[in-house]
Amino acid sequence: MSNDLHVLELLPAYVLGSLDEEEARSVSEHIAGCYLCRQELDSFQGVADQLLLAVPEARPSADLKIRLLERIQSANVKQSTQQVSWNFPRRLLPVGALAGLLLILLLAFSNFLLWQRINNLEVLTGPLGMRAIALHNTDIAASASGFVIMGADGQNGVLVVDKLPPLDATREYQVWLVRDSSYTGGSVFSVDETGYRGVRLQAPESLLSYSAVWVTIEPAGGSLNPTGEQVLNGSLFNP
Amino acid sequence: MKLDSVADTVLIQLIAGAHADALKELYDRYNRLVFSVALAILGDRSVAEEATLDVFVHVWRGARTYRPDRAKVSTWLVAITRHHAIDILRWQNSRLDGKSLSLNDMLLSNESAVPAPEALVETSLEQARVRDAVAQLPAEQRQVLTLAYFRGYTHQQIAEVLEQPLGTVKTRIRLAMQKLRQMLMDEHQVSDKSEGT
Repeated sequence: MSNDLHVLELLPAYVLGSLDEEEARSVSEHIAGCYLCRQELDSFQGVADQLLLAVPEARPSADLKIRLLERIQSANVKQSTQQVSWNFPRRLLPVGALAGLLLILLLAFSNFLLWQRINNLEVLTGPLGMRAIALHNTDIAASASGFVIMGADGQNGVLVVDKLPPLDATREYQVWLVRDSSYTGGSVFSVDETGYRGVRLQAPESLLSYSAVWVTIEPAGGSLNPTGEQVLNGSLFNP
Repeated sequence: MKLDSVADTVLIQLIAGAHADALKELYDRYNRLVFSVALAILGDRSVAEEATLDVFVHVWRGARTYRPDRAKVSTWLVAITRHHAIDILRWQNSRLDGKSLSLNDMLLSNESAVPAPEALVETSLEQARVRDAVAQLPAEQRQVLTLAYFRGYTHQQIAEVLEQPLGTVKTRIRLAMQKLRQMLMDEHQVSDKSEGT
């Protein structure tokens, strides 16, 4: 490949995040398959990371730590309130673990079967109320497909994606559960060279309590709220 | 367990297991760094404190998403902070707002919003090294760097706000990053040599 086809000149701006969307996309696509440019990208990324150390030092208020702990506590209380009804007696834990394992196996097997059976259906209800929901792709990932498969009670679920474009080291995919314009961030993941990946959906509440699921492109490590382009989305509402 | 001597990555693992003391320790280690980055971008102490809280709450909830093979914990934290702070700026619709553009180069300022003289003494060698490198850039290159990285502006927006041709902005950004890389790399090699002697 000649130098003209590389994206070396765009890499400094790429790591700073100052390219427009189209330029950034073309850089992403190029570096996914170019070792030379990826090496260059890594070295500029190192510079950008260090730049954050150059800001003037400042100290937050002394009470900020207390506020953080209060916030964590209140988040924990919410979560434990939601989990009360799921507290098994300790002697039943081995049974619960076995049931969990069986459920995971069932999910995996159903995933395989449903993937083969689902064509145009957006929601397919399987045995014991288990559901598979087909996700819509966007122009960013026009050949990608994905399914959310969840148990009847919405406590367990998996997201399976295929043919999502592999991303460079600075970005990853992130799952979002959406409800009333608020977003619960889920797993951050990469895909293999064929664009395939399965991830478990984890949420503080039943998956049935969310209205939609999104998959977006985010900076590596994930974001607090969706910031990048959406590649897949689907409704989790009951059909 | 005594946490003050535990590695950052172990702290993150403990936090993923809902170990609140590990979060306290992580906060003690990095609250100033996270807050400093948030304040540099947002320019408002109370908003920066909220952003700092958001970042540590995010770590509490999402520690399992941390990948040690991708970045150091400190790099991960400041990257999350930068993205979140820029998101907040965007939510506030302050992009291209003249008030948010401080032409006093924030990267070179030795005055934080709240002066903390002791912080200057505690400044790490690494921070001083990066600041020195940034200080050696021409002012117009520092300016575009600041707008791009700390304000989340695109090339086009920088060109508009500075009333400069787009090509000039692109060139300044590229030159600034190339020079920084060279300077930081040179310094690294010098310090490696002196450590070896």
